Amino acid sequence: MKALVVDDAKVVRVTLGRIMKQIGYEVLEAADGAQALEQMEANPDTAVVMLDWNMPVMNGYDFLVELRGRPEHGSDPKVIMVTTETGMGQMLKALAAGADEYIMKPFDKDMVVSKMEILGLEVAEG
Amino acid sequence: MSMTDREFKYLSAFLLKASGIVVNEDKMYLLRSRMQPLLRKYKIASMDELAQQVRSNERGPLAHAVVDAMTTNETLFFRDQYPYDALKTLIFPEIVHSKGVGKRINIWSAASSRGQEGISIALTAMESVPQADRRVRILGTDLSDEALAYANEGLYTQMEVQRGMPVKLLVRFFNQEGTNWRVCPELKAMLTFKKANLVSDQLSGVVRPHGPFDIVFLRNVLIYFTVDERKRVIDRIAANMVKGGYLITGATEVAQGVRSKWEMVTFKNKRLWKLK
Ligand SMILES: C[S@@+](CC[C@H](N)C(=O)[O-])C[C@H]1O[C@@H](n2cnc3c(N)ncnc32)[C@H](O)[C@@H]1O
Ligand SMILES: [Mg+2]
Repeated sequence: MKALVVDDAKVVRVTLGRIMKQIGYEVLEAADGAQALEQMEANPDTAVVMLDWNMPVMNGYDFLVELRGRPEHGSDPKVIMVTTETGMGQMLKALAAGADEYIMKPFDKDMVVSKMEILGLEVAEG
Repeated sequence: MSMTDREFKYLSAFLLKASGIVVNEDKMYLLRSRMQPLLRKYKIASMDELAQQVRSNERGPLAHAVVDAMTTNETLFFRDQYPYDALKTLIFPEIVHSKGVGKRINIWSAASSRGQEGISIALTAMESVPQADRRVRILGTDLSDEALAYANEGLYTQMEVQRGMPVKLLVRFFNQEGTNWRVCPELKAMLTFKKANLVSDQLSGVVRPHGPFDIVFLRNVLIYFTVDERKRVIDRIAANMVKGGYLITGATEVAQGVRSKWEMVTFKNKRLWKLK
């Protein structure tokens, strides 16, 4: 199972990536929305995207709109926003654009596991 | 911080009597650490002095604070998930069918802590019972004043709302206040929180006006009691339930008490209890 971790901050990619590996995912990374689109083209079987909002080049919201507009992906992969954008308005906007879950930073492993389970995504023990 | 054997025995007996919570010698460290904030707050020099002050007024504010400090209020929205799946797919459909549309459904969260359990029940009802906001009433009871005050306020931290709760329910049923989230009035109106002691014979007097109950959640609290007390608690609860009502305990907790009164129902490999 592949998880794509998208964040312009390396430290977030590393900590979130480590959590995703611990729960059984092969982790792909991208530092902005444009790189994330390339990763999705190379890895169409990605199960879940952990998506930051504020990034240079192409932000997470624009990536999400673009991803959901591509018929080859249908409603896959699941998208979990992981962001400091915590206003109700932003949350509704992301959900309307096709985000499946939302994590308001700061996050921890329990929170990530909980959101994965809510979406019915596999979570390996350990 | 020394404590004589005599004073430890006294505090442990007091806690057992006042709350049913068992504090054996192997929990002495827990008792000490839970009492530290109280010693500071009430400017009490030692555990022995604390014991003496409690002894001199077992119904006073300090005694209450001691009991409150020994309760473990840890809880989560949608804790363990299966109880809510059982409500949605098994229990609510059965009750709606047998009662008919429009009749009141009474639910009791019998160790409600900070209210997450009751709110999770309300959210589930909103999704699976027609006109839930008018028909479903949920009573939450707890012994801890602090937990009850929190539940009554209905304001949860960003951390709390992100464990177990789907974001779609969060944005629909909560209002944002800074980084906190307040349960909306529509849901709040389905919930009432009251102080009630599960190990007291006065329990029925407190809950009866809100019953009889079709569903009771009694989760992650029996573990603190002796085996005999667990049985008495279950029997007190049964006395306030309708025939055919469901009791949902913690995943590893068993509905003891008069065993012949309960039918075991298996749901997703977990046990639920139905009152005969
Ligand atoms: C660990 S919490 C469980 C909360 C919730 N039911 C759940 O499963 O997440 C246990 C709660 O039981 C309450 N409690 C302990 N002894 C009690 C008693 N004798 N009567 C009523 N509540 C009690 C505590 O105050 C605490 O809030
Ligand atoms: Mg960023």
